[in-house]
Amino acid sequence: MSLREELEEFYAEYSEVIDGGALERWPELFVEPCLYRVVSKENHDMGLPLSLMLCESVGMLKDRAHASKELNVYAPRAWRHSITQIRGREEGEGISARANFVVFETLLDQHTRILCAGRYLDRLVRTEAGLRLREKICVYDTALIPGSIVMPL
Amino acid sequence: MNERAWAAAWPTEGDARVPYWVYTDEAVYRRELERIFEGPTWSYLALDCELPKPGDWKRSWIGEKSVLVVRGEDGVVRGFLNRCAHRGVQLCQEASGHARQFRCPYHQWTYDLDGRLMGMPFRNGVKGVGGMPAEFDFSQHGLTPIRIAARRGAVFGSLDAGTPSLEDYLGEKMLAFYDRVFDGRELRLLGYSRQRLRANWKLILENIKDTCHASLLHVFFVTFGLFRVDNPSKVRMDETGLHTALISERGKQELNEGTRQMHSFKQQLALQDPRLLDTVREFPGDATVIMHTFWPNLILQQQSNTLATRQIVPRGPHEFDLHWTFFGYATDDEEMTRRRLRQANLMGPGGLVSMDDGEIIERAQHGFAAAADAAGINEMGGRDYADCDHMVTDVALRAFYRGYRNVMDL
Repeated sequence: MSLREELEEFYAEYSEVIDGGALERWPELFVEPCLYRVVSKENHDMGLPLSLMLCESVGMLKDRAHASKELNVYAPRAWRHSITQIRGREEGEGISARANFVVFETLLDQHTRILCAGRYLDRLVRTEAGLRLREKICVYDTALIPGSIVMPL
Repeated sequence: MNERAWAAAWPTEGDARVPYWVYTDEAVYRRELERIFEGPTWSYLALDCELPKPGDWKRSWIGEKSVLVVRGEDGVVRGFLNRCAHRGVQLCQEASGHARQFRCPYHQWTYDLDGRLMGMPFRNGVKGVGGMPAEFDFSQHGLTPIRIAARRGAVFGSLDAGTPSLEDYLGEKMLAFYDRVFDGRELRLLGYSRQRLRANWKLILENIKDTCHASLLHVFFVTFGLFRVDNPSKVRMDETGLHTALISERGKQELNEGTRQMHSFKQQLALQDPRLLDTVREFPGDATVIMHTFWPNLILQQQSNTLATRQIVPRGPHEFDLHWTFFGYATDDEEMTRRRLRQANLMGPGGLVSMDDGEIIERAQHGFAAAADAAGINEMGGRDYADCDHMVTDVALRAFYRGYRNVMDL
């Protein structure tokens, strides 16, 4: 497989895990030590450190996934990731990758809407199980989030 | 408004009931803009640390009105409507910036940092023809100023010349809570989160005045004892009932008379990485959380080590924007900043706690649809309006609606 094919395969799995409701598998797509951040373009551009979500270990990813799947209270919905313009390059021990993402959100009795759009700034490593994330920074363009972001991007 | 435009009279039970038309009626909303946001109130606009240098500016809001907050060459913070005096074009479109002067791109009318009109092209005509009349008075056509009150870390604005000083407006009792967070230390801006919620703007204020829900809706608060009715707690209000502080202490993850009744309490739940709730005491006294609502547009949050302002921008009866500004103190060490950023996972549009709030108030707004003849019930703790030393009560909601009805003449 070419790097591009490897990455496409990985991002397909990534979106399938979240959109398919198997959030408990989401932390498995990372390797320790890891970093996951969802950050607004505004904060990112201004160099402000605040994240909308911040996980600094696989444990924190598991806490977030469990909360999202079992503990938080929100309206039923469907999510659909679209991950495009994937580009990667080998860098040291791993791979540095960029991609655009859009998340479509569908709530009952409403039109499907775009929840947010942005780009992934990722670092991945090769493992026996395939590519895994060392670091994932989701920089979202959406200046006003419509409602809440109830699952990881 | 002489005639009642909305659906029905206030329920006879008084402030222990809230008719759902206050959340849906266009005429009520227009009166709110006039009497509340454009009336004798101080709206939160900015943190002082967002405008550290002369020439720094920020776009903000009073009600639906876009305003500019600007630090002048003299270091003084001023406010203006974000609108060119010529043809009404919005002057600044970025969220913030730095300027020596403001120039509208349409016809290049130019203003100094004090809002004075300095000039425009073709003022004296071109090749001897045209131009502005000699009697055109520049001093009368600057940016429209708004009143500004700055106290320690935060900046407020008012559109009403009759609004009392910020100190008198908040009153001594509420000012003590304000000064506990804005204690004179320089603030450090950590970042913003912004969301649009499809719910009436009052619902988010109510959410913070509604002590009971925190012990029921939020698994994270309930299970880990961050804000729970069985912990030592107080409700404190000003005389109008519109400003409120809810004060509490962190409790244990234990089964007791209170938690036994909370369906959301999880005795076995354990964090895989407990650093999320590695809180430290940083304010004097026993309180570990104080949630403030300062009428009409500010929620000031001190939940453990997360500090944030939440600014409310109404967008019609059915929507509002919520702008979160997270901050710490300039004296924070690296570890404290990391702690604040980690605990911020609880708050904001993706917050482990706050997402529940955003979702539940949208759900309430759905419930109000075509239900203008029905009303909500605020009777927990009785029907009185007095400060109390527990949180098993709707007293802050009753007091809020008493104050609201006074202002709105409803």
